[in-house]
Amino acid sequence: MATTVKSRSDFSEREKEKDIRTSNIVAARSVADAIRTSLGPKGMDKMISSPTGEVIISNDGATILQKLELRHPAARMLAELAKAQDIEAGDGTTSVCVIAGALLGAVSTLMSKGIHPSIISEAFHQALQESLKVLVNMSVPVSLSDRQSLIKSATTSLNSKVVSQYTNLASISVDAVLSVINVAQNPDNVNLKDIKIIKKLGGTIDDTELVHGLVFDQNASHTAGGPTRIQNAKIGLIQFCLSAPKPYMDNNIVVSDYTKMDKVIKEEPKLILEMCRKIQKSGCNVLLVQKSILRDAVNELSLSYLAKLKILVIRDIEREDIEFICTTIGCTPIANIDAMTPEKLGKADLVEEVSTTDGKIVKITGIPNPGKTVTILARGSNKLVLDEAERSIHDALCVIRSLVKKKYLIAGGGAPEIEVSQQVTEFSKTLSGVPSVCIRAYAEALEIIPYTLAENAGLHPISIVTELRNKHAQGEKNAGINVRKGAITDILQENVVQPLLVSTSALTLATETVIMLLKIDDIATSR
Amino acid sequence: MSSNKVLNIDGERISGQDVRNQNVTAVAAISNIVKTSLGPIGLDKMLVDNIGDVTITNDGATILKLLEVEHPAAKVLVQLADLQDQEVGDGTTSVVILAAELLKRANELVQRKIHPTVIISGYRIACTEAIKYINDCLSVKVETLPKDYIINIARTSMSSKIIGDDSEFFSKMVVEAMNRVKTIDYKGDVKYPINAVNILKAHGKSAKESVLVEGYALNCTVASEGMPKKITNAKIAFLDFNLQKTKMKLGQKVVVTNVNDLEAIRDRENDIVKERIQLILASGANVILTTKGIDDLCLKYFVEAGAMAVRRCKKEDLKRIAKACGGSVHVTLSNLEGEESFDPTTLGTCEEVVQERIADDELILVKNSNKKSASIILRGAGSVMLDEMERSIHDSLCIVKRTLESGSIVPGGGAVESGLSIYLDNFAATMGSRKQLAISEFAESLLIIPKQLAVNAALDATDLVAKLRSYHHVAQTDQTKKSYSYSGLDLYNGKVKNNIEAGVLEPSIAKIKCIKFATEAAITILRIDDMITLNPKEQQQDDGHGH
Repeated sequence: MATTVKSRSDFSEREKEKDIRTSNIVAARSVADAIRTSLGPKGMDKMISSPTGEVIISNDGATILQKLELRHPAARMLAELAKAQDIEAGDGTTSVCVIAGALLGAVSTLMSKGIHPSIISEAFHQALQESLKVLVNMSVPVSLSDRQSLIKSATTSLNSKVVSQYTNLASISVDAVLSVINVAQNPDNVNLKDIKIIKKLGGTIDDTELVHGLVFDQNASHTAGGPTRIQNAKIGLIQFCLSAPKPYMDNNIVVSDYTKMDKVIKEEPKLILEMCRKIQKSGCNVLLVQKSILRDAVNELSLSYLAKLKILVIRDIEREDIEFICTTIGCTPIANIDAMTPEKLGKADLVEEVSTTDGKIVKITGIPNPGKTVTILARGSNKLVLDEAERSIHDALCVIRSLVKKKYLIAGGGAPEIEVSQQVTEFSKTLSGVPSVCIRAYAEALEIIPYTLAENAGLHPISIVTELRNKHAQGEKNAGINVRKGAITDILQENVVQPLLVSTSALTLATETVIMLLKIDDIATSR
Repeated sequence: MSSNKVLNIDGERISGQDVRNQNVTAVAAISNIVKTSLGPIGLDKMLVDNIGDVTITNDGATILKLLEVEHPAAKVLVQLADLQDQEVGDGTTSVVILAAELLKRANELVQRKIHPTVIISGYRIACTEAIKYINDCLSVKVETLPKDYIINIARTSMSSKIIGDDSEFFSKMVVEAMNRVKTIDYKGDVKYPINAVNILKAHGKSAKESVLVEGYALNCTVASEGMPKKITNAKIAFLDFNLQKTKMKLGQKVVVTNVNDLEAIRDRENDIVKERIQLILASGANVILTTKGIDDLCLKYFVEAGAMAVRRCKKEDLKRIAKACGGSVHVTLSNLEGEESFDPTTLGTCEEVVQERIADDELILVKNSNKKSASIILRGAGSVMLDEMERSIHDSLCIVKRTLESGSIVPGGGAVESGLSIYLDNFAATMGSRKQLAISEFAESLLIIPKQLAVNAALDATDLVAKLRSYHHVAQTDQTKKSYSYSGLDLYNGKVKNNIEAGVLEPSIAKIKCIKFATEAAITILRIDDMITLNPKEQQQDDGHGH
């Protein structure tokens, strides 16, 4: 940057600091502006074609920013911010960036008035604390048994996505999360890893289903014509190989007599047969075989034996899936053939191969103690929709998880932001001096959310936001923008609700990122 | 563009109306390519790829697949055609044209200051209504139709293709082939596996001399000239392993200390495989099919026994023959006792296995009059024509399968589209919001199909479509004239006629999926208001250090 170099020689350090801040703010705001249009139920999608030519269509702030490969360090911080929100709450990734952008806008106005950044950051911090109080006051407690409320909040989160017209996804997500909560041990959190999403092309999103059991992406082995459907399955998960043993060291078997040739040749079938017999003896009739890179996990010979013994074989189970499979069907992985005992097997009513247009899948259903894990089988008519459906399901799952973590709901549709904005403005009037100005600016910046919502929905933003202010001033705490009707209504009655955690975490993360950006006064590029 | 300078990304960014225009243009370009091939009087495309291979086709999905489209929005359309091909097998051209038209009209609405999301919800409502209407009013249960309806369906689907002139001949062939492969699974569902119909292509003679073989045709020849070329009451062994001199596995070595032992070892090598062959022959097998090789030594044994051996069959072929003849494929000969044996119950039986000469090639036919298999041997003037014939037959097979499985049909020739258009227009009038506009545009878009059909047939599209619409209007207002709702275009005479009676039929499921997929694709593209293309990363220079 030419100006930076110049100012350095001029010894006008203050100028330079200002430059850096401005450049950071401009960069970060431009990012926020870029994704603004995808906020809310009427938000639009972005199509990004990556350097490798891969195309994604998404509406999810975190996904967009991640794919953009931003170069400016400050802009990258915003991408990080979206990611943090994604991890913490899973939803509201676009809102968090938009809020941060608006706050940065407020910052630049304040700085142009000559207020020192550290004062601004202190005031913002104070404003944040106040805002959080307001949010908590607004929230309504929810119980996890209230399935309707949960579905409502999942629907709100899905509304902005391309999949919004499919009502089934919300209830699937709710059921999925509710069924994996471990009430006894950990009622306040859910491990989303217990919910596996499998994508299959073909059909429409309507055909997406929740499977209380397992779905395997690969088909059952057909090589030797083994069974493809087994009732009352006993499932064994093996981590050893059913093929001729291969020692680590180079070895040679020397046959000196032709009569011994037969013996050598017969040895392999004998060995494998013995292993297959042992598997059969344990009562196992469905065999999952872990992928092996060292040697063939199964070979034709063992497959043909297993087929003759009427054992269904699924090959190439990934190592990282082992734990998931084990918790689902209640089996123990078997590392050695001698450890193959009946109590290590899992049980299921039905193991069945199902064909779809995109190849075959294997479904395991009717597991005796369901509830530890579930699988969502996502379907979609093209790859782009399918990918977006997966992201949307993930968001909906996160929303429900946030409710499990913090069992409070809050209104959506811009209502909390306007309420916070008004209350914090009130609060600023109780103070005096510079912080009061800063806190007031903070409060005003939050109006960006209803403003953008209205703008994206094709409504007149100024009239909507002023009407909203008016309603809130009259004490209608839950008045929000009803995007469908294009008017201001009580948003709680419209069933537009979101978890409290999403809002609080968005505000906290956005404010903290802004404060951090403020504190930077120099960028040094090191090579 | 100033925005990407501020955003600081390595690439280009287009947003708002610009990106919509660009997407719509790209999509329209795709649709323009395929639209002249719609309908019975549509024409073919010749595609030459970068190594000079020529494909002549009329099938939308095939054309688009070969085009190697670059634009991301256009790619969505290519995927769409592909999906229609997989799910239905026919109607690939219509789905692309419809999606492009929906987008074009949506873009016009956006320019008239209607928010895209309003259009999207309007389109969605229209799509659900349309499907409901097809199911309730336009589709006809096959039970109510004369027996030859299925032949008509096959004929309609191939009317637009190269074999359209001989559709009478081919439609019978397709239907018969499909009926032969009918299977009933454990749930009692009737299935018609398309793959079970084997299609072979042979140069020469005219298309009309194509034959349906009651059985399975294998594109292989017997392994040795000394073998019989024809075996009646065949017992077939299916093998999936090599019949050759035994080799030791890696890491096993035979060390010879005495020269005399050499001979003994060689004998033993031969004997091991000989014993296997004798096991197979002893079971009564007189035809041996294997996916792998048979070496000269082993051939000798088969020739001596008067058996027919065929090597290097395709694995899928083998599996299907095994299924059709009631046998099973052997991966090894080992049995559960650890010994080698060959179970005679795994042999397949059929009436006759014969090697026949067709054109320049010889084929092996596994003839089997009562079992579940069928093969079609296509004849034609050249490989390009044969390829197109194969695609057409495949499309027809798919359509017949869908109809037989779903059991309901709709009239073709633009009847459904114009009926829906009238219905949706009326439906739009009941909506009191901006969505009304979107729904009526949807209705209007559907008319592109009859319009394009008429244009391709060099008829007056405006006149004909107006006439068609008036028929459908009457059908929907006048209870006594319900049968008018089956009116479609007769492109040969340039008139409107009852297409159910005329036998221009399509399965309802094909129409429903076509509308559903086209709407979904249009919505996907319509929702995009920003396109960011990142520049390809420069290839990392190889620094010569290796990795």
